[in-house]
Amino acid sequence: MMQTALHPTPRPASVLREQLRALGLALRAPAAAAAVLAAAMALLITLGIVEEGHRIDFYPELSMLPAIAGFLLPLAVWWGEDRFGPGFLWTLPVDRRRHALTRVCAGWMWLMAGVLCFVLWLLALALLTGGNLVGDQTVRVLPAAMTNVPMALDPAALRTVRWTPDPLLWLVPFTGATGTYLLASALALGVRHPLRWVTGVVLGFFLALGAIEGTKSLGLLKGATRVLNAVFSGPYGIDALLTARTESLHTVATLTSGQTVEVWHALPHTGQWAAATLLWAAAGLAALWAAASRHGERRRG
Amino acid sequence: MLVNLDPRDPRPLYLQIMDEVRRALVVGSLRPEDPLPSVRELASDLAVNPRTVSQAYNELEREGVLYVRRGQGTFVSPDARSGTDERRALGRAVAKRALLDARRNGLDVEELMMIMREVAAEEEGELSPAAPATGHGDEE
Amino acid sequence: MSGMIHADAADGGWAVATHGLVKRYGRETALDGVDLRVPEGAVYVLVGANGAGKSTTLKVLMNLERPDGGSATVLGLDTGADGARVRAQTGYVPERHDVGYRWMTCARLIRHVAAYYPSWDSAYAERMVRAFGLPPGRRVGGLSKGEARRLQLVLALAHRPPLLLLDEPTDGLDPVIRNRALSLLAEHLADSPATVVVSTHHVHEMESLADHVGVLDGGRLVAQMPRDELQRTVRRYRVQVPEGWQAPPELRAAGAVRQRAGREVQWTLVGEEGELTQRLSTAGAQVREVTPLTLEAAALAFLPDEGSR
Repeated sequence: MMQTALHPTPRPASVLREQLRALGLALRAPAAAAAVLAAAMALLITLGIVEEGHRIDFYPELSMLPAIAGFLLPLAVWWGEDRFGPGFLWTLPVDRRRHALTRVCAGWMWLMAGVLCFVLWLLALALLTGGNLVGDQTVRVLPAAMTNVPMALDPAALRTVRWTPDPLLWLVPFTGATGTYLLASALALGVRHPLRWVTGVVLGFFLALGAIEGTKSLGLLKGATRVLNAVFSGPYGIDALLTARTESLHTVATLTSGQTVEVWHALPHTGQWAAATLLWAAAGLAALWAAASRHGERRRG
Repeated sequence: MLVNLDPRDPRPLYLQIMDEVRRALVVGSLRPEDPLPSVRELASDLAVNPRTVSQAYNELEREGVLYVRRGQGTFVSPDARSGTDERRALGRAVAKRALLDARRNGLDVEELMMIMREVAAEEEGELSPAAPATGHGDEE
Repeated sequence: MSGMIHADAADGGWAVATHGLVKRYGRETALDGVDLRVPEGAVYVLVGANGAGKSTTLKVLMNLERPDGGSATVLGLDTGADGARVRAQTGYVPERHDVGYRWMTCARLIRHVAAYYPSWDSAYAERMVRAFGLPPGRRVGGLSKGEARRLQLVLALAHRPPLLLLDEPTDGLDPVIRNRALSLLAEHLADSPATVVVSTHHVHEMESLADHVGVLDGGRLVAQMPRDELQRTVRRYRVQVPEGWQAPPELRAAGAVRQRAGREVQWTLVGEEGELTQRLSTAGAQVREVTPLTLEAAALAFLPDEGSR
């Protein structure tokens, strides 16, 4: 009885293109705010140079800003979408899980564009102020055996090394932002109230910490510290993802001479950073897949 | 052509449309070779399902009242005259409605007919002084 | 490839068919074994009170809600397995008036949705925007209820889908716009034939478009038939009865006594007129008058009497 052929579903490429366009429009406001902020900072720094002759070196791996932006972006990407109700996105003729992942992908592409702008901005600042572009520096490295920095450090124990960061580490802002973006996207898609979850987890974390301290059990405290260290500043911890451990590897020590200097436990290791990044990205992707599957077409189980 | 549909009329809509076309023929507002509104137009005007209009047109075409010129639309057949048959059919419909109403009000046929003649005579009496004016109006 | 699936091959020629559809929200049962059958090309009006399950039924057809039991097919496609393809065949006006993204302008939202339908007819969309007097540059968040509804209609019609699922399409429209919308819908059906399922509690608005009617009551489909059959079989009977007359039980089940004044009783009964008249007179009642009903009144006859609620 029915003669007409069925209408086709849209091609994945055109869905991605449209999501990119729509998200671009949605992100105009935050992007404009970021641009204004960047311009203001550039102005301040330029004024500083004129007055005091400061120079800005180029260490893209040192900035946590892209990672923070990556964590917050899913909020903007999913703003106004009734994810767990009859959201507008779900009424469109695309497989729902694929559609959700397409939008996450479109958001990621904008994130990468934003991070690229940020890195170029840093580069421009370094060029403008005549800063060090390669980022090579002379660093003082603690002996490998020394895990705790003594109150007064004998300068003879320090090794002086000329370190040139691997250019691969220029990718750190991109990978760091990707990692946090994936995790936050999984959160935004996977739970009804992501903000409540984040607040709850942070609160729970501090409560648990307080409780552990309250027990006055040294073993428990040590264990908790070890776990925290592994998650945050361990070889595969969050810091490895976000800054290739440049953040947690160096510390400040007071020498026997009373001078305060910056010392490094070890030099950042590119391979370790790559492994950590892969690990976190894989975890993020798995979480994202699970979160997107909550919105799948078929009922599970 | 004016088509009016009555939502209270229990007859299927396509029959109502067919009757309206026939009525237009009898009254003379539709003549042979006149074009009919397209299915789309009529459906839009009446806000009815176009399939209902098509069904009415198809039936009328089958009865020889209408014919389709390819690419031009639907027209009244050249030999579709407001013949005595059509008039009779219309008259019967009117009579049925009147009878139904009469029975509802507890009148029988004889009573109804008598009163009808009475009223008709009265109306004619009222109209006769103004007859030329109404005659003029009829031609318009 | 598989784009040429024919409905009759898959589900007996029904454009929409559901099989024992069940949907629960917590302890509430929204749908309770609904077997919808919508013939190809029909304008099917789903009637029922608020909360009778009309919107839920349409959402299940869009696979926006997953049923707890039963299944549904749309143009031969299983809604659960093939949701995306089902939605590609469907123009949907949702129950709620918030359309798309508040920060988008009407024109941008139309372009957004257009990207999702290869069959989108932009010229047609523009014509409808003009016919409905929609402000293309206005943000969606600033639209009135009625404007949002009109925009939703444009979005649903402009890709000329073979199926339209309209949930209270005239809700929030003023009478002039409502008539324009209904005319436009009739024109649309003339230009691009489609099956339509309309949910409404204003049946009289759909009076002339409807050719099939389904009545939902508390999640159950209590009646479903072609319009002509509904209007033929549901009529009001005015009967004169002797003092103290009691209706025979089989008639009592067939319809509710609406009014009783002295020795006159008025019923709305479901069945063939001749047969019912005969049965009434055998029972000692004299049929005075049989009145046909409007579509709305006929459909409402299947719902429990307002008085008993």
